[in-house]
Amino acid sequence: MAEEYILIRDIIHDHNERMLNIKKYYPYFRLTENAFTQFQGGKYVNLDMGYILMAVLRFFIEKNNFEESDVYYEEYENFLHQVYRRDFEIPLDDEEEKEINSYIFDKLTNGGRPFTYEYFDPVDKCKKTIRMKLIDSRIREDRLAYFLTSEAIEFYLDTKEIKDESSISIAQVLLSKMITTKNYKGGIDVIKRINSEVSRLKIKKNEVLNILSEDVFAGEAAYEEFVNTGIRWFEDEQKLFAKNMELIENALKRVENDDTYISTIDDIYLLETELKRSIIKHSELLNACTDLQVKADEIINKAKFNRLRPSFDFTYVLKKLMENDRADMTEIIIKPLLKLNIKKSFYLNDIDKMLSLKEDKKEAAEKVREGVEEKDYVYEDEVEDRRIQNNYNLIIKDILNLLLEKEEFSLSVLNEYLVKKYTENILKNGDYYSLLVHMCQKNFYDTDSIVEKPDTFFEEYLKEVVMGEEEDIYSGIAFEVMCDEENRQCISENVEISDIYFKVSIRDELQ
Amino acid sequence: MTDKELDKALDIVSALITGEEVSKEVNISLYEEYESNGEVYDVVVKIFKKMNINLYEYNYGLYISAGENNKVFGYTNEELKKEIGVKLNRELYLCYFIIYNIITKFYRDSKSYTFVEYVKIEDIITGIDNSLKTVLNDIKVLNMDEVEINSFKEIALTWEDMPIIGQSEGMSRASRGSKSGFVKLVFNFLVNQELLLESEGRYYVKDRFKALIENYFDDYKGRIYEIMKGEN
Repeated sequence: MAEEYILIRDIIHDHNERMLNIKKYYPYFRLTENAFTQFQGGKYVNLDMGYILMAVLRFFIEKNNFEESDVYYEEYENFLHQVYRRDFEIPLDDEEEKEINSYIFDKLTNGGRPFTYEYFDPVDKCKKTIRMKLIDSRIREDRLAYFLTSEAIEFYLDTKEIKDESSISIAQVLLSKMITTKNYKGGIDVIKRINSEVSRLKIKKNEVLNILSEDVFAGEAAYEEFVNTGIRWFEDEQKLFAKNMELIENALKRVENDDTYISTIDDIYLLETELKRSIIKHSELLNACTDLQVKADEIINKAKFNRLRPSFDFTYVLKKLMENDRADMTEIIIKPLLKLNIKKSFYLNDIDKMLSLKEDKKEAAEKVREGVEEKDYVYEDEVEDRRIQNNYNLIIKDILNLLLEKEEFSLSVLNEYLVKKYTENILKNGDYYSLLVHMCQKNFYDTDSIVEKPDTFFEEYLKEVVMGEEEDIYSGIAFEVMCDEENRQCISENVEISDIYFKVSIRDELQ
Repeated sequence: MTDKELDKALDIVSALITGEEVSKEVNISLYEEYESNGEVYDVVVKIFKKMNINLYEYNYGLYISAGENNKVFGYTNEELKKEIGVKLNRELYLCYFIIYNIITKFYRDSKSYTFVEYVKIEDIITGIDNSLKTVLNDIKVLNMDEVEINSFKEIALTWEDMPIIGQSEGMSRASRGSKSGFVKLVFNFLVNQELLLESEGRYYVKDRFKALIENYFDDYKGRIYEIMKGEN
């Protein structure tokens, strides 16, 4: 029974922790899968993403943790340049290299987004998503600088040794084993890793201080977590340092008596120096942490005093809002700061509503009477055409009648004649003026030749009038049309027309 | 009160409503009238109160802002999205959060100006990163169903999923695609709102900003706490 309980507990309750522990490996497998097969038609399939990833991580650790500096993109490019030449022996020109560098960088940073994967949490009985970044960025002196996340460092270190809450202690145990097995060179590598862990804790300490300065309450929690996971191992670590130092001193003593140690004497001295350096770094971290403790107390005390002052505490309000998880309520703080909204505009979404608005819910169907054809349907332009034709015919008739009567007359005479017949409104009629325009296209008209072959619009209408007259009184008339531009007639305000003279030139009947 | 005094008071009100400055340097006569003539002062204060507009004096200048739920002069969320240049609610809330962070760079509380002279885009990015750190730690492992709309987790995800600088764009370009672009969008909005002043990528607070922060929140803190409590 008890065994079964343990089995189920292991399966269910430890699952979450296991998933968290494997999360650091996820980006590696995500990145190595089909890394270069899709890129440029598989041209660079010989490159190995797994190797490149590990190399880049190591390079970043060197820069971030050993040299304590960020990495700029150019440095990353220079590093990869050596990798292509040295390890893959692929000849690449500058352009190709830039493209591959950028492709790899986008992959490693996942386009600036975290790598995510889902797993089932059997305790909460729901799916959860794990998020992890390998490389993060920040701005340093107006330039974009990159650094490894602590998860990425953990991943790199875990590929070679076991990881525990204090990797310094584990490394120390490993170091002891190496010293006792006389592997001094390996010991130096372990010390380097200890130094890297010390540097990571230093960075973590700064992060805690940053959070404290932004938000005292969140900072306090981060500080406690840092104390629990980082500082509480200090004592053990220092004991282990002392133990390792003792082991090295013993080894150095043996060098004098035992010939087998002579070949490794340089390594032992080097190891001693490195370990001393590491102890100094470790005590520096201890000092920094003590400093953090003092500062944290100071900040927390100050925050307590501020709470007593009768003022509006922005950080406290933000903390409350975050506790309630109501981001939308930040508007009660922001909106009062804005200017008056005096620009009034039509809300665009209302147009959508208007467009999709149906007038009636039921649309009445139109009844179609079969077999009934619309007859005598007249289009609007046909109505206009008929009006124009009618007006033109009347005016042309009047011109011809006047020519028969007077043989010669001016536009003013014609106007008088028309006004008498149709009232003043004729002078406001657009058809009258458009007819004059058509007429002035030519300055001589012979009705006989026009009837045979009309040339212009005016001649078409003229032909119709001549042919339409039953008594044939207009045939054989020829007349001249002369425009006198200097003599202008005012029709209305701002409207003028040049005078026109009409004159019969041949009249068969008179001859 | 004579017609002349009413005239003056209305001149002050209309100048302020249309966005003009009324201070010892601009529209001086109006400011002096407000300062020295008690009746003009009373009318101006009364008109703004009736219009649900808050009026504040700071460093020899007058500043106004729309009161709570002012339907005529206040902004709706849709209008603000348009004004800032974002589309989604969570983006708008992220903008509010960024503005909040900008406020806290200059003011820890309404009584203590931090004497920070100016802020830059990168300061705000770091500030947001730090402010969201606790939420971001929570979302290292996350149940997607638990991310409610309008929550800080949603804001944190929006923020975290953006690169610090978008591809082929510099720090100075405002856009919704990157952290720096987003902060720049907000800065542009605050400059338009005459709360900040920009010079060479540095943003300085204007008197309008100080006037509102140092007065509004003290006057209305009770009401704000009440709203927060009521919404719990």
